[in-house]
Amino acid sequence: MKKIMGMVVLLIGISIVTLIAGGCANTGMGKKNSRTVADVTLENSDQVRVEEQAKLEKARQAKLAEQARQAKLAEEAKLAEQANLDEQAKYDEQAKLSAASKSNFEIVYFDFDRSDLLPDAREAITKNAETILKSFRTSKIQIEGHCDERGSAEYNLALGEDRAKSVQKYLITLGVKAENLSLLSYGKEKPAVNESSEAAWAMNRRAEFAIIE
Amino acid sequence: MKILLFVFLMALAPVGVYGQSDYIEVTAPGNRQLKMAVSLPNALDPLSRTETAKQISEIIVYDMNMSGVVVASGRPQQSLSRELLLSDADFLPWLNAGFDLLVSGEFSLKDEKLTIELRLFDVINRKLITAKRFLGSPKDVRRFSHSFADEMLRAITGEKGVFTTKIAYVSTKTGNKEIYVMDWDGNNPLPLTKNGSINMNPDFSPNGREIIFTSYKRGNPDLYRRSLYNTAEVALSKRKGLNYTGSWSPDGSRIALALSKDGDAEIYTMNKDGSNPVRLTNNRALDLYPAWSPDGKKIAFVSDRLGKPQIFVMNSDGSDVRRLTKTGSYNVNPRWSPKGDKIAYSRMSGGGFNIFTVTLDGSSNNQLTTEGNNENPSWSADGRFLCFSSKRSGVSGIYVMRSDGTGQTKISKGRGGAYFQPVWSAQ
Repeated sequence: MKKIMGMVVLLIGISIVTLIAGGCANTGMGKKNSRTVADVTLENSDQVRVEEQAKLEKARQAKLAEQARQAKLAEEAKLAEQANLDEQAKYDEQAKLSAASKSNFEIVYFDFDRSDLLPDAREAITKNAETILKSFRTSKIQIEGHCDERGSAEYNLALGEDRAKSVQKYLITLGVKAENLSLLSYGKEKPAVNESSEAAWAMNRRAEFAIIE
Repeated sequence: MKILLFVFLMALAPVGVYGQSDYIEVTAPGNRQLKMAVSLPNALDPLSRTETAKQISEIIVYDMNMSGVVVASGRPQQSLSRELLLSDADFLPWLNAGFDLLVSGEFSLKDEKLTIELRLFDVINRKLITAKRFLGSPKDVRRFSHSFADEMLRAITGEKGVFTTKIAYVSTKTGNKEIYVMDWDGNNPLPLTKNGSINMNPDFSPNGREIIFTSYKRGNPDLYRRSLYNTAEVALSKRKGLNYTGSWSPDGSRIALALSKDGDAEIYTMNKDGSNPVRLTNNRALDLYPAWSPDGKKIAFVSDRLGKPQIFVMNSDGSDVRRLTKTGSYNVNPRWSPKGDKIAYSRMSGGGFNIFTVTLDGSSNNQLTTEGNNENPSWSADGRFLCFSSKRSGVSGIYVMRSDGTGQTKISKGRGGAYFQPVWSAQ
């Protein structure tokens, strides 16, 4: 048993000596080739520098591209906003013109939940047709359909459009050019008289004429 | 809406003692409603204002009473127990006072930091049912309290409440018809549109983050889409004539609406960006107000093809049209229940509107309102409630009720101006 232990210790001792010797040999090799290693290291560091510069350049480019992209987006947003404002201004202008023009025309009235034209309505439309043919032959005319407050808001919008459509059809038979006419329904959203009475309802079931262009 | 919210169930009880099932069924003996005591939360920090405790308690009592599941009442602060879990002796006074459920908790409001911890106890069985801890800022008091009511409803019924959802609506407060959004109980009204024109018929995207609506802001009634969190509005449909009564499909991919570009109002569906319109109805009558079934396979709508407006149902490709409402001469505003079994609508008779529900075979109509003019019903996501507009107090206001018509309560709070066309968000 003791003999075996001794052998093991001896073997370990030999191994250590061999390892140290090997280590020295390696160090010697390193010294011999130190120039080369330094050169390689230099080359490597050059390489690294080049790569770093390339990376920096790439990052710079990416940043520039991103800046350009952001600028483009901002420009687009600005243009969209301007287009938005322009469009709104156009509508506001139209609305002003439309409101001012209404006094030129008669208002057309309807029965409850009906869009067919009563004799009085036909007379009013005839007068309006004469006005258009005499003074506004090339103007764009909008016919607004309105309802009284009874019934659902959504259904009344469709009904208001029906009323405007009835007026449009009759106007065309009286010689007004179809391409100069457009329709707009306000349903019960814009009452002429904001009250809940038979008299108010009768005033609110109507079609109004307006010049929009 | 970038609020840090940490919500977690507190591990107060060892697993096994209180159970970890999805929910605990709490049933009252006999047929009476469960009685819930909501004690004022204790202030953990002596500088915290007592109004906050009152506010938390009031919101919880309001939500739970509105649910109809329990009868809740506010109670004074309990003496702060050294232990977070109540002992048998702690439960005894509540048991003797006839309560089945107890809510207690703590809060602190310090350096603009709000902490709320709330716990729901089963008094009869003397155990914790659920608990939550919320961290945020002072403006989160309402939301956290509603959120705990949501959680309690989940714990009691198995289905989460809708107390953190929103209601969008139209108001004439400014003199124009603008769109707003508010909490389900009418608090925190927030203006969305500010264009000074006529805006109408808002509808939420399924995730509750966007709305579609019709606006006259550019002259013609066009359909727009916008986020709740910024002001940009995109025109989705600006075809000649009406572009209105837009309704978002349950999966969020399509929008159903009525267009009158063909001469009279017809139902279309289109992609949520407005592309690929598909015409579903084709006749000389008015067709409008589409409402999706929860599975997206069917669409209810209003048509006057038989003379007066009635509610019809068709497949979402326009096939298989059948009349749903067979009684009443003027039925409008259909909205499909989230469970899919009923359709709510409003009927005009004798000059006034009332809210009804009808089963899908059209056989059974249930009248839910009787007083004043009641229009535009819209379901909560769990089908427990409907919101609607009513003129019962003169000027139109927004109300909620349970889907059986009980618990009708005005929620819109502003003075001056009418409030109408409410729509309830799904999330």
